[in-house]
Amino acid sequence: MSADPDFTLNIDPTLSTAALAGLEASMNAALRYDPGTRAALKDLQGQILAIESTAPALTVYLEIVDDDDRALRFFADPEGNCSPTTHICGSLSSLAALMFKDTSTLANSGVQVMGSTALLSELQILAKGLDLDWEDALNQITGDVLGHQLAEKMRNFAHWGRDRVQTGERLISEYLTEELKSIPALPELQTFYSQVDDTRMRVDRLEQKIQKILARKQKQ
Amino acid sequence: MTDKNTTDFGFEQVSVDEKAGRVADVFHSVAAKYDIMNDLMSAGVHRIWKRFTIELSGVRKGDKVLDIAGGTGDLSYKFSRLVGSEGLVVLADINDSMLKVGRDRLLDRGVAGNLVVSQADAQFLPFEDNSFDCITIAFGLRNVTDKALALRSMLRVLKPGGRLLVLEFSKPQHSLLEKVYDAYSFKILPFIGKVITDDSDSYRYLAESIRMHPDQETLKNMMTDAGFAETKFYNMTGGIVALHKGIKP
Repeated sequence: MSADPDFTLNIDPTLSTAALAGLEASMNAALRYDPGTRAALKDLQGQILAIESTAPALTVYLEIVDDDDRALRFFADPEGNCSPTTHICGSLSSLAALMFKDTSTLANSGVQVMGSTALLSELQILAKGLDLDWEDALNQITGDVLGHQLAEKMRNFAHWGRDRVQTGERLISEYLTEELKSIPALPELQTFYSQVDDTRMRVDRLEQKIQKILARKQKQ
Repeated sequence: MTDKNTTDFGFEQVSVDEKAGRVADVFHSVAAKYDIMNDLMSAGVHRIWKRFTIELSGVRKGDKVLDIAGGTGDLSYKFSRLVGSEGLVVLADINDSMLKVGRDRLLDRGVAGNLVVSQADAQFLPFEDNSFDCITIAFGLRNVTDKALALRSMLRVLKPGGRLLVLEFSKPQHSLLEKVYDAYSFKILPFIGKVITDDSDSYRYLAESIRMHPDQETLKNMMTDAGFAETKFYNMTGGIVALHKGIKP
């Protein structure tokens, strides 16, 4: 691939550069429909997050910029000249989990953080508060009248889908607990756990009392 | 160069004095449709190759950049945004037709203040010693009559620690890819050239000049011989294109 033995990318630079260009274009296109997040990103301008996947081995850098047409810049830095503000490192699955799961701590996440954690938490807050005006994006393609009607239909469909999923979850839960009696209901389970906790504490107290009595007997 | 007085023009041998004129004719002919042809010929991948070049350039705000054989200004446009108002980009090309297209296009895209345009021969760069932080030459070196002389000229105008990046067609690293690439270059490319620019000869020259251009290792050694340090190259798209980098010690 290269004459340089320190070259760390294992894939053809054309592919990695194209993938990063595509990611950058889609993220920046999406951010155009959330001016609030884009404005908040300006406060982080110039900061760089290095995202290092150990399996597969690949490092991607995300820089917050303030160009006319982009707020985020993705690059690979194959020569390792970049000094990131924050460097996160872990397997691709643990990094993905960090991105998509609602986690407030990195303990047991399999992800290591080096450098400032402030940038990471700021980005997590911004990602959670992301509110894309997708109706505006739709209007750019279809025009305001048709776009609004389509958006209303899509919203109704999404609402209906969410209701169906919630109802389905409740019905399955009731069938398994009430009809089949194959699993306990959540309140039963919570009562059981509470009783186990109570028993464990009583046993602990009893054990301490026995130890105390035995110690007193030995002294006599 | 094969002997003292002749050099290659594609697969032809021509006199040294004649080559520059023949190359100029090629680019006068294709200048107007150069960008369309680049997109068609590479399926847009030339933008990816150039993006990687910019990533590796390490150009920052305030830098002075020389874009040799800059043609229609793809790299100069990106560099002008990276160097900011306190930096400078020089778009240089020996061919005035290409330069006019590049200058007009950059003006239309709002680039002004930190960009100058210069008609210059890469072999005899009309700039002071130690002037630039970074020099790029993208798809231009193979058209230069005396490549070693051009590399020495670039070294002269670079500041110590400055980077030279040479983006150029090179030798595919897989035999199967090489066969497919040969068929594409010699059969399909001249046909596209004929349809779009009504000039198949220029695109036949393009394919031939690529085959006559030094391969990855040879160009790397030429850069080292010219005086560059830490020379290295990155193959892209299986070696169809290579990006060479060298530092002025």
